[in-house]
Amino acid sequence: MTANPSPARPAAPRLSRAARGVAPLFGNTHRAVLAAAVAAGIAAFAVALARGEAARAWQAYLVNLLFFLGIAQGGVVVAAAFYLTQARWAGTAAFRLAEAFSGFLPLGFVLFWGLYFGRTLIFPWVLHPVAQKAAWLNTPFLFARDGAGLLAMTLLSAWLVRVSRSSQARAWAAASSDIEMPPPAIRRLATVLALAFAAVYSLIAFDLVMSLAPAWHSTLFGAYFFAAAFLSAVAAMALTAVILRGRLGPANAFAAPKVLHDLGKLVFAFSVFWIYLLFAQYIVIWYGDIPVETFFIVQRVYYAPWAPLSYAAVILIWVAPFLVLLGARPKRTPVILGAVAAGVLAGIWLERYVLVVPSLSQHAVPFGWIELLITLGFLGGFVLCAIPGLNLAASAARAELAAETH
Amino acid sequence: MAAAAPEIATPTFSDVDRSVLRVMQTPGLLYWAWIGFCFTLVAIGAALWTRQIYEGMGVTGLRQPVMWAVYITNFVFWVGIAHSGTLISAILFLFRTRWRTAVYRAAETMTLFAVMTAGLFPLIHLGRTWFFYWLLPYPNERYLQPNFRSPLVWDAFAVSTYFTISALFLFMGLIPDLASAREQARGWRRVFYSILALGWQGTDSQWRHYSMAYLLMAGLATPLVISVHSVVSWDFAMAQIPGWHSTIFAPYFVAGAIFSGVAMVITLLVPIRKLLGLEGLLTPWHFDNLAKVVLLTSLIVSYSYATESFMVWYSGDPIEQTTFHMRYFGPWGWMFWVMVACNCVIPLLLFSPRIRTNLSVLWIISIFVNIGMWTERFVIIAGSQSTNFDPSQWGFYRPSITEIMITVGSFAWFLGLFSLFARFLPIISMTELKEGITWLKKALHKDYARAA
Amino acid sequence: MSGAIEIIATFAAEEQCVGGIEALRAARAENFRVFSPIPSEHIEKAIGRGRSPVRAFVLTGGILGVLTGLAITIGTSWEWNLVAGGKPIISWPPFIIICFELMILFGGIAAVASFLLNAQVPALESAPGYSARFCGDRFGVAVRCDETEAQKVESILGVAGAEEVRREQAQPSATLPNGHDG
Repeated sequence: MTANPSPARPAAPRLSRAARGVAPLFGNTHRAVLAAAVAAGIAAFAVALARGEAARAWQAYLVNLLFFLGIAQGGVVVAAAFYLTQARWAGTAAFRLAEAFSGFLPLGFVLFWGLYFGRTLIFPWVLHPVAQKAAWLNTPFLFARDGAGLLAMTLLSAWLVRVSRSSQARAWAAASSDIEMPPPAIRRLATVLALAFAAVYSLIAFDLVMSLAPAWHSTLFGAYFFAAAFLSAVAAMALTAVILRGRLGPANAFAAPKVLHDLGKLVFAFSVFWIYLLFAQYIVIWYGDIPVETFFIVQRVYYAPWAPLSYAAVILIWVAPFLVLLGARPKRTPVILGAVAAGVLAGIWLERYVLVVPSLSQHAVPFGWIELLITLGFLGGFVLCAIPGLNLAASAARAELAAETH
Repeated sequence: MAAAAPEIATPTFSDVDRSVLRVMQTPGLLYWAWIGFCFTLVAIGAALWTRQIYEGMGVTGLRQPVMWAVYITNFVFWVGIAHSGTLISAILFLFRTRWRTAVYRAAETMTLFAVMTAGLFPLIHLGRTWFFYWLLPYPNERYLQPNFRSPLVWDAFAVSTYFTISALFLFMGLIPDLASAREQARGWRRVFYSILALGWQGTDSQWRHYSMAYLLMAGLATPLVISVHSVVSWDFAMAQIPGWHSTIFAPYFVAGAIFSGVAMVITLLVPIRKLLGLEGLLTPWHFDNLAKVVLLTSLIVSYSYATESFMVWYSGDPIEQTTFHMRYFGPWGWMFWVMVACNCVIPLLLFSPRIRTNLSVLWIISIFVNIGMWTERFVIIAGSQSTNFDPSQWGFYRPSITEIMITVGSFAWFLGLFSLFARFLPIISMTELKEGITWLKKALHKDYARAA
Repeated sequence: MSGAIEIIATFAAEEQCVGGIEALRAARAENFRVFSPIPSEHIEKAIGRGRSPVRAFVLTGGILGVLTGLAITIGTSWEWNLVAGGKPIISWPPFIIICFELMILFGGIAAVASFLLNAQVPALESAPGYSARFCGDRFGVAVRCDETEAQKVESILGVAGAEEVRREQAQPSATLPNGHDG
C-alpha cells in the first residue's frame, strides 16, 4: 500500500459491553421471545401440513425465504458497494451496520433446500411440465444451479464480512480524508461479490418467482428483484440505526443527524429506483398488450383481490418515502425515518407476496394465522442469526464516536 | 497550440486559474485549419440534407421493412453520449465524488453539443422537415393536438427538456468561471466574458442563492438523465416486434448511454489534455475513475445482452428465436460480434489498474467502445426490423451516400462545436477545482506506475 | 451615510476568512459583505443567513409543471377523443411521462429564474469593496461602519489573519449597504 499521508485513526477499541457499563442489546428475555417465535413458526408449518393446507404453508415459506434472504444478502452487497465507492461517511459503523444481517445467510441457504420437499406445491411445472421449457425448468437442474449460486454467495459473503472486520479494512474505513481505494484484498472481493449478486439473484428471481407462472417472462425481472432486495437491505439498515440509536445512549455514531440523513437519502434514492424499474416493466407490458405478458400484470393490478394489495405495496415502498423523505429535516428525525423504513420493509414483504402467491392461488388471498406465524418464525430466526452482527454494529457505533472525540 | 505546462506538485488557486485561462488565448493556424475541416464536412452533410429535402427520402437507403436505420441510430447514439455528461456533472455532484471536478465541464459541454447533434436527426428523418412543430402542443386551426399516447411525443418533450436543462445547467456552472476569465481578459474578450458573466462578483448573497439553485438543478437533472434515455428506449420497446419489445430496454439503454458517453469523454479529454497542456489538472487519477465507470457500465450492458438472449430462448417463441438467430448469424451477424467484442470483451481489460492509467491504451479502448455502441444501436434498430414476423417481408438495409455523409457531418458538427468551446470558454471548471484543491494535490501525489 | 467607511480585508485562506466573519459577528459588526472565488459551506454557515428561498420557487415550478402536464394531456385527449392504438382516451402511463418531463422543465427554469431574481444578477453596478482578485484566488470581507468603529474592525480583521486591510470612503450607492439583500 502506498504511504498514507494522513495518520489512520486507531482501530476500534474492543472493550466488552460489560466493561463499558452498557446493558447488552439482546438479553435473555429477548432471545427467549425470538426462540418462541421460531418455535411458533415451525409449529404452524407442521400443523398446516397436517391439516391439508400445505400449499399455504409452502407459499408463506417461499415468500419469507425470498424476503429475508434479500435483506441479508443485500446488506453485504451494500457493504461491498460502500467499499467500491469509497463511502466512508460513517466510518466503520456503516460497514458493520450493513453486514449485521449476514448471519442469516447460512440458515437461508439451508432453508432453500427445504423448498425441495414442497416442490410439487410451489412449482407448477413439476407436476405439469412445460415441454418447451423442460430443459430449464426441471427439478434437478433448478436446484443444482440455484443451490450452487446460493452456496457461492454465502461463501463469498462470509469471506467479505471476515475481511471487512480485519484491522486493515477498519483502518481504511476510518480514514475518510484519504484518496486511496480500499486494500486490494477487499476491493477485489467486493467486485466479485457484487457481480455474483447480480447474476445469482437474477437467477433466483427467474427460477423461484418467474417460473411460478411458466408462460410469463420479463427481461427486467431479475434486475427488478435484486434492486428491491437491495432496497430492503438499505431500509433495514435505516430502521436498525434508528433503533440502535435509541438503545445505545447519547454518544454513538447513529445519533449523528448526518448519518441518519445519509441513510435517509439512500432509502429515498433506491425507492425511486424501484418505482422506476416497476414502471419500466409496466409501461412496456401495458403498451404492447400481448396476452402472454399481460395476464401476469392484469391478475395482480387490475382485479380484486390482488389489486388493493399491489397498490398498498406501491404506497408503502414509494409514495410514502417520496413524500415524507423529500425534505432534509424528516430524514434527520429518527422517528420519521424509522417509520418510513419500517413501511418500506412491510411493503417489500407485501410485494414479494403479491409476486409469488397469485401464481399459485388464483382467486383467494390466503392470509391467516398460518402465514402470520410462519412469518414471525422467519423473523425470529432472522434476528437470532443477526445478533452477533448487530452487537458488532452497536459497539462500532459507540467506538466510532469515542475515536472521533480523541 | 499552447506548450505543455510544467506539472505543479502543489497547485494554488492562481495556478488553477492560470492553467485553464492560458488555454483561452488566441489559437494558432492549425486550430483554425481543424475548425475549417470540421465545418467543411458539416457543409457537405448539409448539402446532402438539402438534396434530401428537395428530392425526398428516396435518396436514403430506407426501404420496407427497415424504415428506421442510420438516422435513428445516430439520434439514439448522440442522446446516449449526452447522458454521461449530465451523469458526471449532476449525479456525481450529488454524491460529492471528488474526481468529478476536473472533468465535468468538458463532459457537460459534450452533453450540450451532443444533444444539439441528436436533435438534428429527428428533423433529418422527418423528410418534410418544415412540419416538425406538429409534435408540440399549440393552439391551431386544424383541431389537432399531439397524440400523447405515442412514444415519439414523449421523445419530443424529453429531449427538449433535456436540451433546455442541460444548457441552463452548463451556463449556471460557467458563471463564476466567466467572472474569473473576465478579470484577466482584455479587449473584445473582456466584453464578451463580462456580458456572459452577468456581473457576477462572488458576494455571499450571490453564492447563497447560486449554491441552492445549482444543487436543486443537479437534483432535477438526475432523474432527467434516467428518464430521457428511458423514453428514447421506449420508442422501440413500445412496439411489439421481437428484438424491440423487451422490458429491460430502459435501464439497459441508460447504462449503454453512460457507457458510450464516458468513453466519448475519454476520447475527447486524452487529446485535449495533451494539446492544451492540461497535464497538471487532469491527472491519471481522473482517468482511472472514468475508466471504472466505463467498466461498470460495460458489465451492465453485458448482463443485458445475456439476459435478453436467455429470455429469448426461455420464452420459446419461434418468431423471437428466429429474429435473434438472424441477429447473431444472419447477413449482418458480423456486426453483432463486432459489438460483443467492443462492448463486452475489450472493456474487460479495464480491470487492470495499469491499463486504466495508461492513457494511450485507454484512449484506444474508448474508441472501440464508441464503435461498439454505435454498432449496437444499429443492430438493435435496423436489425430487428429486417427479420421479423413474416419471412416474405424480410429485407436487408444498405445505407446510401446521403446517410453516410450526414453521419460523418454530424460527427464533424459535434467535434467542431466542442473545439470552438474549448478554446473560447473555460473547458475545466476553475471554481470547482479550487473548491476541491486538496483532492487535486492528493491526486498529483498518487503514485501510478505508468502515466502516459 | 456621510462619514461611513468601507473597510476591505483580503484573506488568502478560507479558514481565516471564516474566522474573521465569526469574530465580526461576535463583535456585533454585522454590516458586511463577503467575497469568495469558490462556494463555501463554512462561510455560508458562519454568516448564518439561513436557507435560500430558491427552494420554494423550484417546488412551485415543479408542481406547476405536473399540473400543466396533466392539463395539456388530459385536456387535449378529451377534446379530440380518438382511440389510438387501443389505449384508453385518458391513459395515465403515458401522461405520467409528460407530467414528469414538464415537472423537471418548469422546476429547472424556476431554479435559474429565482436565482437571477434573488441574487440580483445580472448586476449592473459593482458591489462596494470588490476587487478583481476576489474572483481569482482571494477571499474578501468588506465592512461598512462609522469612523469611530473603524479601528476596532480593522484590528478584528487583522487578528483573524487578513493579508491586507485597507480603508475606503464609502460610496453612496443604489444598492443597499450590506450584502444581505434578498
